[in-house]
Amino acid sequence: MLARVGKPAPDFKANAYVDGAFKQVALSDYKDQWVTLCFYPGDFTFV
Amino acid sequence: MTAVAVKYDELKALGVQVLSVSTDSQFTHKIWQEEELSKMVDGGVPFPMLSDQGGRIGQEYGVYDENAGIDIRGRFIIDPDGIIQAMEVLTPPVGRNVSELIRQVQAFKHVRETGEVTPSGWTPGKTTLKPGPDLVGKVWKQWKPDMA
Repeated sequence: MLARVGKPAPDFKANAYVDGAFKQVALSDYKDQWVTLCFYPGDFTFV
Repeated sequence: MTAVAVKYDELKALGVQVLSVSTDSQFTHKIWQEEELSKMVDGGVPFPMLSDQGGRIGQEYGVYDENAGIDIRGRFIIDPDGIIQAMEVLTPPVGRNVSELIRQVQAFKHVRETGEVTPSGWTPGKTTLKPGPDLVGKVWKQWKPDMA
């Protein structure tokens, strides 16, 4: 399923770095909350 | 991502959780946070930094560049029902405008809470419109482009 406005956001699970620890984070962990998901090209890039 | 981090308090006050995603590993995220981000923002970025190695998440969101093997700049606002309300996708050289992200969140929250709609350029306090039969053909009475 491809993401589109007005449609459910595809759920996912990912390894993450959070507050100095490594954790698994799922979009579904944030049910009932507003979420901003920001993709970016890579760490150590310039903008 | 530091631009988002410095406005994080504003986003947090709006009840917005931020998740950043790139194809880097969580280990690279740790070093980036320690070596660079923490020197640009007090305490570093305060939100989870997700690893999308292989680009599976980026593919689902239509932002994975297979040739470069990276997720391009894509920003999605997801409401409490899990519905995508807004998306903005940019090629890598141009950064985002976090103020516009905040404005859009304010607008989507207002719409969700009131059932009103927000005209072009709306910011909190400006005129909103109540859709309905009475408004058809009469928007000009309540809203003009110089109010954007």
